[in-house]
Amino acid sequence: MRLTIEVWRQENPDVPGFFEEHAIEGAQEEMSLLELIDYLNDHLVSEGREPIAYDSDCREGICGTCGITVNDQPHGPVPNTPSCRQHLRSFKDGQKLRLEPLRSAAFPVIRDLVVDRSAMDRVIQAGGFVAVDAGTAADADSMQIGHGRAEKALDFAACIGCGACIAACPNGAANLFAGSVLNHLSTLPQGKPERSKRARSIIQEIDESFGPCSVYGECAVTCPAGIPLSAIAAVNRERARAALRRGKDD
Amino acid sequence: MSTTSVRAGTRTPQKQIGPRWLSNVLAKYIMAFTGIVFGVFVLVHMFGNLKVYLGPEHFNDYALWLRTLLEPLLPYEGFLWLFRLFLLACLAGHVYCAWVISARAKARRGKFARKGLHGFSSFTARTMPVTGIVLLLFIIFHLLDLTAGIGVATENFQHGSEAGSFAYQNLIASFSRPAVAIFYLLAMVILFLHLAHGLYATVNDFGITLGQKARSTVMLLSGLFALVVMLGNITIPIAVLTGLVS
Repeated sequence: MRLTIEVWRQENPDVPGFFEEHAIEGAQEEMSLLELIDYLNDHLVSEGREPIAYDSDCREGICGTCGITVNDQPHGPVPNTPSCRQHLRSFKDGQKLRLEPLRSAAFPVIRDLVVDRSAMDRVIQAGGFVAVDAGTAADADSMQIGHGRAEKALDFAACIGCGACIAACPNGAANLFAGSVLNHLSTLPQGKPERSKRARSIIQEIDESFGPCSVYGECAVTCPAGIPLSAIAAVNRERARAALRRGKDD
Repeated sequence: MSTTSVRAGTRTPQKQIGPRWLSNVLAKYIMAFTGIVFGVFVLVHMFGNLKVYLGPEHFNDYALWLRTLLEPLLPYEGFLWLFRLFLLACLAGHVYCAWVISARAKARRGKFARKGLHGFSSFTARTMPVTGIVLLLFIIFHLLDLTAGIGVATENFQHGSEAGSFAYQNLIASFSRPAVAIFYLLAMVILFLHLAHGLYATVNDFGITLGQKARSTVMLLSGLFALVVMLGNITIPIAVLTGLVS
């Protein structure tokens, strides 16, 4: 396969970035997007040039580390699939691929395709956990949770925190991400004692770094974990509920 | 290789847009509530408009009834003015929150605007500020033309009184100007786009978590609602221009 790659190069957060063009010969349809960058990097290194920096870890779509924007689509052209699981067979021979970092004001570029996603970490630090003293591990069946409820919680717990929903959002909103945390933890009994407190702190935190939701629905099209769009309404629901429970944690 | 400090983990200070107490969630609740008010208003308004097909007497009686509503509890036009003030307050809230939300959205997205959006829903969502501004201009035009009777109104605009209304005559005179009729028609198409996304979004803004099926249904119903309002209103300038109503 012959491809033209336009890739974002930026040495550090303080300098402006630019697109660099590379003509690639001999790429294979079976290569993933990340393998394509590896392939290109091999050439760059052998020519004594700086390789393209990008994030990756598991390469099987479960860790949430990778994420690049390909032809304006976060993660790439295939819906609900992370960059590491998208392959060159989605592209035509001779096509131009424009590789950019995940774009959002909350994600400053560290280098090339690597962005700083710690704004998301701050959301998790604000309340993406259960802090009640749970004691020693209880028997698995001591707390009965119906199958439907457990499945619902798991659907939202599937978030891998990659940040593509935020990059997909024209408003830079994090409602799918925050909503998945809120929905997951409010569905299970362990999360209930801090439900209102969590809603207040998480939503205050997303207001600090992220934009408002206008129900574009782009996030759910992009999400590699398949978080349903219903997560975004959880933000408004949980915040209103917390407002009615003023002064209470649960 | 240069050694620049990577500021990972530090919060980039964000410029506060709008008052701090107006959180994104609160702003969306205000927009959703006022949006529903306008949604219901345009539906009832369209229903009233369709009385034009029942003849001048019926239409003018309806216009007069709006002015004498709740008399003698309230004076002549008392209810109408209370309702106008309520609508004005809703409009102020809606427009202000819209401004805050779109300014925040722009700032939080940063300098690389999202491109390559999917589908009709994204199109209507993206065009909400534009369609909103057009509708605001249309409302001003519409009020000057058919309520205040100044500026853009026809030369033979007649003010109504307790003795009777001339709403029918004013409407026919206004729509007999093709440019006004076409502007009205376009404004209704814009209203359709704004309403279709707006009503769909209110469900989410009120925090109602729906499954995929229910969300598709809500989207369809919002579209139908907007379509009914648009089609109902559009028939009127067409009927006037074709001489069906005169």
